[in-house]
Amino acid sequence: MKFDRRLFINFDWMLLLVVLCISLIGLLNIYSTGFNQISARQDFIFVKQIQWVVVGLVFMTAAFCIDYRFVSRHAYLIYGLSILLLLIVFFYGYATRGSQRWILLWGFSFQPSELMKLTLILALAKYFDHHRRIEPYRLKDLAIPFLIMLVPFLLILKQPDLGTAMILFIIFSSMVLFIGFRWKSLGWSALIGLVFIPAGWLFLKDYQRERILTFVNPDSDPLGSGYHVIQSIIAIGSGGMTGKGFLKGTQTQLRFLPERHTDFVFSVFAEEWGFLGGMVLLILFMSLILWGLKIALRARDYNGTLIAVGIAALIFWEVFINIGMVLGILPIVGIPLPFLSYGGSSMVVLMTCVGLLMNISRRRFILQP
Amino acid sequence: MTEIRNQLNSHETGPLHRRFKIMLIVVTIALSLLALRMWHLQVIKGEELKQKSENNSIRFRKIKPVRGLIMDTHREVLVDNQCSFDIHFVPAHTRDIQAVADRLEFLYREASLDFTREAFTPGKLKPFMPVKLEKNVSREKLAIVETHTLDLPGVTVDVVPIRQYLGGEMTAHLIGYTGEISPEELDKDESDIYSSGDLIGKSGIEKYLDAYLRGESGFEQVEVNVLGKVQRVLGKKDPEPGYNVVLTIDALLQKVAWEALAGKPGAVVAMDPRDGSVLALVSSPAFDPMLFSAGISREHWRKLSGDSAHPMENRAISGQYPPASTYKMIVAAAALQEGLITPETSFMCNGSYELGNRTYRCWRQGGHGRISLHRAIVESCDVYFYNVGKMIGVDKLAEYARRFGLGAPTGIALPREKSGLIPTRDWKKMRLKEPWQIGETISVSIGQGYNLVTPLQLVTAYSALANGGVVWRPRLVTQIEAVDGRVIEAFAPERKSILPIGRNIMEQLKKALWGGVNEEGGTGRAARLKDADVAGKTGTAQVIGLPENEKARKMKFISSRHRDHALFVCFAPVGNPEIAIAVVAENAGHGGSAAAPVAGKILEAYFERKKSPGKRPPLVISDHRTGGGVADQP
Repeated sequence: MKFDRRLFINFDWMLLLVVLCISLIGLLNIYSTGFNQISARQDFIFVKQIQWVVVGLVFMTAAFCIDYRFVSRHAYLIYGLSILLLLIVFFYGYATRGSQRWILLWGFSFQPSELMKLTLILALAKYFDHHRRIEPYRLKDLAIPFLIMLVPFLLILKQPDLGTAMILFIIFSSMVLFIGFRWKSLGWSALIGLVFIPAGWLFLKDYQRERILTFVNPDSDPLGSGYHVIQSIIAIGSGGMTGKGFLKGTQTQLRFLPERHTDFVFSVFAEEWGFLGGMVLLILFMSLILWGLKIALRARDYNGTLIAVGIAALIFWEVFINIGMVLGILPIVGIPLPFLSYGGSSMVVLMTCVGLLMNISRRRFILQP
Repeated sequence: MTEIRNQLNSHETGPLHRRFKIMLIVVTIALSLLALRMWHLQVIKGEELKQKSENNSIRFRKIKPVRGLIMDTHREVLVDNQCSFDIHFVPAHTRDIQAVADRLEFLYREASLDFTREAFTPGKLKPFMPVKLEKNVSREKLAIVETHTLDLPGVTVDVVPIRQYLGGEMTAHLIGYTGEISPEELDKDESDIYSSGDLIGKSGIEKYLDAYLRGESGFEQVEVNVLGKVQRVLGKKDPEPGYNVVLTIDALLQKVAWEALAGKPGAVVAMDPRDGSVLALVSSPAFDPMLFSAGISREHWRKLSGDSAHPMENRAISGQYPPASTYKMIVAAAALQEGLITPETSFMCNGSYELGNRTYRCWRQGGHGRISLHRAIVESCDVYFYNVGKMIGVDKLAEYARRFGLGAPTGIALPREKSGLIPTRDWKKMRLKEPWQIGETISVSIGQGYNLVTPLQLVTAYSALANGGVVWRPRLVTQIEAVDGRVIEAFAPERKSILPIGRNIMEQLKKALWGGVNEEGGTGRAARLKDADVAGKTGTAQVIGLPENEKARKMKFISSRHRDHALFVCFAPVGNPEIAIAVVAENAGHGGSAAAPVAGKILEAYFERKKSPGKRPPLVISDHRTGGGVADQP
């Protein structure tokens, strides 16, 4: 691709700045979770996470350079490939801790369910763009997009990975609410949902039910899943206004906190940096999400708007659910905190999402090629 | 600019704008909710939670499970657990670390106990990280620490179960030992059930059945005070004890076998030919598994692993020896079954056998004269079998040997079993890139040359001779059961194959083996018993290639490392065999004089007990240095 100076004319510096800030905070935090007090040495995860950020930035650049309309044209193909990857996971993936989520790709562990989040946004955006309606959508208009969501949803649920499956459903719902939905249809789907929730309860694994029950009453099981929440709340609360300082969080450093570097990274951060640090991070996330919505609003075409809305929704819900859960106001489901949780697949996919946002942002003027 | 903006937003009609506004509100409210909650936890309840975390009042700890017991076939306990006490120190629980160290030193010295200050080195300590002061402390030290908890803030006692190997050295190889899981083992563990600090079986049954023996860790959440004392148990998940293992081993025979070997290098395996149950499996010299229970010192480990007698090696399953004359039974069985000879076929033995320009000697210098199969087995005539071996050929012979289970791992429930070696033409071409020499067939037919077998393979093969042709997979474990006696897994005898050898041939061979022990001129007369008819075959495996007669003469001049290995394999009673035994005594000379008496002692003990089954001598471990827990036997 030939170098195009115009790539930089409308470059979204603000977006890049916010994402880099969040990623740097994430790296700092991973350093703390991986720091071993006994040997005063660093775990391998810090170095790995740096690698992932770099790989993520490469993907971000790629996603920025390739015209999103080109990507969108192949949205269904990408969707199909992602489904294929999920099927490979289903049959050949390897499992850790009882859940089969990973495949090996060129020597790297890769989690196709993370990629699926982005792919679903692309596929739905394309579908809704093609089937645009002026009047609100009816229930039957949503049968096909619902299927587009349902197939990966079930495959991921089977892994089992309730958190990621739920995110797919939430992305779908958010996008549907955005495109406009008849109030009557909304009522119907709410009713169907109400019927299915008890049925869904039957399908949950024991540990998942336990988590929901402990959410309702964490003291009922202070050892099992309640333990996570109690320790997380102690960690966050003990951070106070200004925090205990970098590498000084006792809850973290003494390994009271489970899953320190994955689902509970925010507890680590809030313990060491306190309320002020937490607020800075929240404001950064809020800027990112609102910036995403602004890009959606100003996109040159409806497809771009839809993609940006989907991405903003993805980041918003992951942030909200993850932080809500470590703060003890939402049940524990395995959802990573964007840019902060350790994990390559999530980092790379989110960076790609941001690249797409920049892409949509810079091509917002219709007069441009 | 506005123009462009208007143009651009042409597709964004009213409702779209309204929806953006709604989204903006939703996001703002949701994130404000999080901020509010953070305010609540960190600012309003901050002090309280900070207190909680500083007192470190809630602790989550792992409770190690109790490992399963290992019992012999009569349910005599071979491996038990005892409490060991470890002393820890948490620096954060005291203001003056050195004062604690001083106090502890004073208390120890007062009782004239040793004390090392090393763990208290200021730079090494991290406030909340417990350091292990001492492992497996004596009762005296334990008493001091327990009675002075108030002057020793931060010093705590941890109770850990440790393994008691009641059998000591005599079951060391069979049962193996345990140790803390190593980083390599953790890496290899894909099931994710182990974590660092866990105890894991390192060899023997402990390793092979680790998944059953280990049990499941429990967890405990406790509230502790500033001194680290437990105030309140908030919740607890009890550890699941490991499963108990019942072996086929008979502790009495194991003990007799171990004592009969008397610490000299060698191995004994006894098997019940009726179902392949292993009754005794001994390797000598051995190590003291108790050394590993509480964590072995580096110096001890270096001594054990560097010992030229290889005390860590289980010779019964991984010692590979030339089968020597014990192999003649396989040669005879093959020749008879193939119809190459009859029991009446005789050959002339004048002390040597010529082939090409080489001379192969018989062990008896003057020769055996004209001799037929029965006497050739009884007297173990080499020349007879040179003739027979040459008729069969190496490949056919190997085929029979393999059917008897030689040259391949038997599949016993123990790690690190060796396969031995039964050579064929193809094997030699593949491995040595050389064609087979006919002279090598001659060596092979008396079990020398490339042939290698393990004592376990030998006893399996002879069990098949004893029971009329069934080759068993050696059965070492009867069953695995839960603490409440519920059977988790039972192991039935497993038939590997049935030898395609005629019934009368088998009878013929058994009769000859009986002759080898009981007839005049038999080589295995040292294993004779008045209570039962013993049948057996001796073997003397050459370590270096000196001619037999010359070696016998020079015996006392040859360094012990180069002396022959003595072998003896037998079973009894010949009419309906109940026990088969293979004995290998390394560098001990003749099978008849060095190995047969060992088997004799085991047989004697076996039939002695059979006469008076009620009376069982208790399992008393001879010469056991650390046998603290041995005294209280049921």
